[in-house]
Amino acid sequence: MKKLHSSTCMKTQVFYSSLMGATFLFSSSVWSASCCGGGGAATLVLPKFFDSMYDASVGYEQYHGFWNKDGEHLSDPPGSDLNQFRITPGFAKRINANWQASIVLPYVWNDNQYAGLSSNTNGLGDATLGFWYENFDDIKCVYAVNSLEDLTPAAYFGASLTIPMGVSPYDDVENSFDITGRGFYRLDANMLLDKTVFPWGVSLSLSYGIYLERDINQEYGNYVEPYKRKLGNRLSGSLGFSYTKTLEELDTLTYTITYAALKEDEATINGAIDSTSGFDTQSVSLAVAYSTMEKDWIVRAAFNHLPTSDGLGSNFPVTDTVTFGVSYVIP
Amino acid sequence: MTSIIFLSACADVFDDLSPSSSDKRGDFDSSTVGYHPGETAADFSVFDTLNNTFVMSAELVGADAIVLYFTMWCPICDSHMTHMRTHIMPAYPDVKFYFIDYVSGQVSIARASQLDNGYGASSVLVDDFNHTVTDLYSATMGTTIVIDKNMVVQMNEDYKDSRKLQSVLDALP
Repeated sequence: MKKLHSSTCMKTQVFYSSLMGATFLFSSSVWSASCCGGGGAATLVLPKFFDSMYDASVGYEQYHGFWNKDGEHLSDPPGSDLNQFRITPGFAKRINANWQASIVLPYVWNDNQYAGLSSNTNGLGDATLGFWYENFDDIKCVYAVNSLEDLTPAAYFGASLTIPMGVSPYDDVENSFDITGRGFYRLDANMLLDKTVFPWGVSLSLSYGIYLERDINQEYGNYVEPYKRKLGNRLSGSLGFSYTKTLEELDTLTYTITYAALKEDEATINGAIDSTSGFDTQSVSLAVAYSTMEKDWIVRAAFNHLPTSDGLGSNFPVTDTVTFGVSYVIP
Repeated sequence: MTSIIFLSACADVFDDLSPSSSDKRGDFDSSTVGYHPGETAADFSVFDTLNNTFVMSAELVGADAIVLYFTMWCPICDSHMTHMRTHIMPAYPDVKFYFIDYVSGQVSIARASQLDNGYGASSVLVDDFNHTVTDLYSATMGTTIVIDKNMVVQMNEDYKDSRKLQSVLDALP
């Protein structure tokens, strides 16, 4: 069957790609920790055929205990109220027909109340530089599947570099509440597959990241005997399903549900494994996004939930995150 | 917003962008009271979660050393505390180990966290609302302090993988 390059279908694919970029952002935001580690972000995805995109999101993350190393869910101390608020601006720019680049730089507020301690701090999070190669030249959205070719997804392959712009335990800071970043450079190889059979869509993202080993000579502002530390390699992935509803004047609403998982291996100190480190976690996101007919404005909202059940994560905080975002896409 | 970002960047981020391997620890000895390794530890008194008074100097009597671990009942804290309880404490029977709750401020709340997290059999101390002990030792989440029987600070840094703690305990005077 000939692909239908109609306005609606084309719009859906480019829009959905952008939404997946947002989903990347949503899912990555929860890999932070108000108490102890960072507000990182992930890469934007610029829709096919567009020149550039401005993106901004605000996220509010609330903590609901944590999974211990054995996967048992434990509560935060009585009387505690732990929150993180983030504003994440980003910009993506097309380099040529198939390559694009982006930068994302969050700003993080930590708001932690305990029965005997109150802390409000803020600072930059870790920045992310991203590059994507689009392994397709035309729109892969179809209205019906009549051949194998119709099943060909839009495939993106990319790399990203996390830059430790945030405040880490290895900066000159007073305590763990000041932390807004992890303090390490990280290289990620990323893949995003997206297939839309209008109005339904499915997407799969995979990412594998390697932290660079670094020297450390201070912890929370106190100088210590210098040592080398390397965080563990991390594997993350998400699987999302979407449905797009066309509104009057061809504006669209897209509903997405995404399952995401992340596992980070144990870190090393001077080459020896630190058995107290490493974590894994799973989350589910619900998102809705509105796009204008011209595809120039995309407004989205998402709710990301980490379940409190035992065994669904380890050595990681359990959170709920609400995120609102807007993208302005320039043809 | 831009100015906020750049102010923050100038103040805090350069250490991570270009990490240093220089040993910048100062020279400290027992002639001064402080929290740095080598200095004489400042004495302090707090309550434990059973409402008993804990006086650091008194607890040192008859022990090789005491180890203080600062917890806020977080995932990293739990991982460290579990590791310490399983792998370190049994190997050093003449050393006294204490977890210090520095976020609860009240004995009853600290006790509840202790029990909720499965540390009912451990010794947990409660820093007061003024965070007296935390400030005295410039401590935060994960800080592990070793004070020997002569009341000299032998270690004051993050628990990490415990290797540093073990080497310090093995070399106690």
